[in-house]
Amino acid sequence: MSSNVSADLIWEISRNTNSYLVKRTHAQFSRDPLNLVNLNSRKYAGFVNDKAVGIAPGEKGGVVVTSKKAGSITKPSARATTTYGGNKTTRKTYKNVASQVAKSGYRPDLRQAAVARASAIRASQRTPKPDQEKKLRGNAAKRAAAEN
Amino acid sequence: MASRPTVTIIGADGKATGATQVLPKVFSAPIRPDIVKHVHTGMAKNKRQPYSVSEKAGHQTSAESWGTGRAVARIPRVSGGGTHRAGQAAFGNMCRSGRMFAPTKIWRKWHVKVNQGQKRFATASALAASAVAPLLMARGHQVATVPEVPLVVDSAAFGPAQKTSVALGLLKAVGAGADVEKAKASKKLRAGKGKLRGRRHRQRRGPLVVYSAETDGKDLVKGFRNIPGVETCPVDALNLLQLAPGGHLGRFVVWTSSAIKELDSVYDSKKGFFLPSNVVSQADLTRLINSSEIQSVLRAPKGEARTKRGAVQKKNPLKNKQVLLRQNPYAAAYAKQGLGSQKATEGKGKPLPEAFKQLLNE
Repeated sequence: MSSNVSADLIWEISRNTNSYLVKRTHAQFSRDPLNLVNLNSRKYAGFVNDKAVGIAPGEKGGVVVTSKKAGSITKPSARATTTYGGNKTTRKTYKNVASQVAKSGYRPDLRQAAVARASAIRASQRTPKPDQEKKLRGNAAKRAAAEN
Repeated sequence: MASRPTVTIIGADGKATGATQVLPKVFSAPIRPDIVKHVHTGMAKNKRQPYSVSEKAGHQTSAESWGTGRAVARIPRVSGGGTHRAGQAAFGNMCRSGRMFAPTKIWRKWHVKVNQGQKRFATASALAASAVAPLLMARGHQVATVPEVPLVVDSAAFGPAQKTSVALGLLKAVGAGADVEKAKASKKLRAGKGKLRGRRHRQRRGPLVVYSAETDGKDLVKGFRNIPGVETCPVDALNLLQLAPGGHLGRFVVWTSSAIKELDSVYDSKKGFFLPSNVVSQADLTRLINSSEIQSVLRAPKGEARTKRGAVQKKNPLKNKQVLLRQNPYAAAYAKQGLGSQKATEGKGKPLPEAFKQLLNE
């Protein structure tokens, strides 16, 4: 990418028309896989920024963190992916996500969004509790008691 | 620019051959969506065929107005009798079987002249945008598997590509397979009358293969022409309608190595045309702001890193003890003596009279 092109320029060109944009009456969303909050905004637009993070559910549980390799803006296939925590506690997952995204100085401003997204994914991976058995009440309860 | 960026040349197996190519100058042209959009709007109109309704439509009757005095509107009415048509209104655009309002004519202004300089500017701009991966993604191309943008593939790989299977295999090997698949899967039936007018289907555009007609030859066109969504174009006849379909920047272009080598000479040979230059040489705002030139002329920030906002921010005296004391100096003594927690009167109150209790429980 030559020096006449920057993330700022790309954003101004593509903020109103891009293939990831989902326009609704109350908000503008983004389908960008490298967007942590799915909102069409300069900060979270993954395809625009030189450094961006995407978090998706892993195939065998856990979360897959994808990030652009810095300095390889002309190489779309240069991505780093790491999977965190299929069978570990969620705290370890969050810690790993936060340290990769923010602590290493990659995108410190995305720490909260990254951990929140990882947390939401981990919550969705929990097996739901079975519904409690319904207690019989009233006449139905009396009948059941009489039968036993 | 001191050093022009280079691009690696990819081999038939999708791996870098080791050879590199200095990017042609046109790739540093300014990216101007406004100009591209405007030029595209004009150029897209130049392939239209004239159409119009029949000259005679709605006028094939000998209707005349009945004039005033017959208690009907003065619109021309079909003459004669013996049929329902007689006496009905005719000709007007509001009439059944009348002519349309302002019947379309074949001498409408179908074509738009676009200045050559503008066309060349727009083409240069679209080419520059085709080398920016985020713009390709914004246009909707599937380039996540592409090793580098612009994608330059060794010309030798295109030699056997006059067979479609080989050509498709080549596109897949260099990472353009996903985009071809997307174009193929996108074929839909067109909504509306266009179905009857030779525009039955609509589909996405895939990659554009740019080759050098001189060195690569035209045989590779045969290999690519039946792959859905894929188009080919010789490098000396680049077309804005292909480089920015719909006026949207960022077409995914697959270059043959000889085509990209030839691109500089293509632009050199355009007499009287100089590649447009950028208004700003550095478009990165963060780098501009943090540059020593800017930082050295800015005055130092006033105040400390954390400035006290004295009168600006209202503090809650119920929660902030210092603010409470400022407003009510007695609060210190009040708190010290524990007046707030003292009961109003020590001990229990007088018991209720017995008579009253009895009355109450009656």
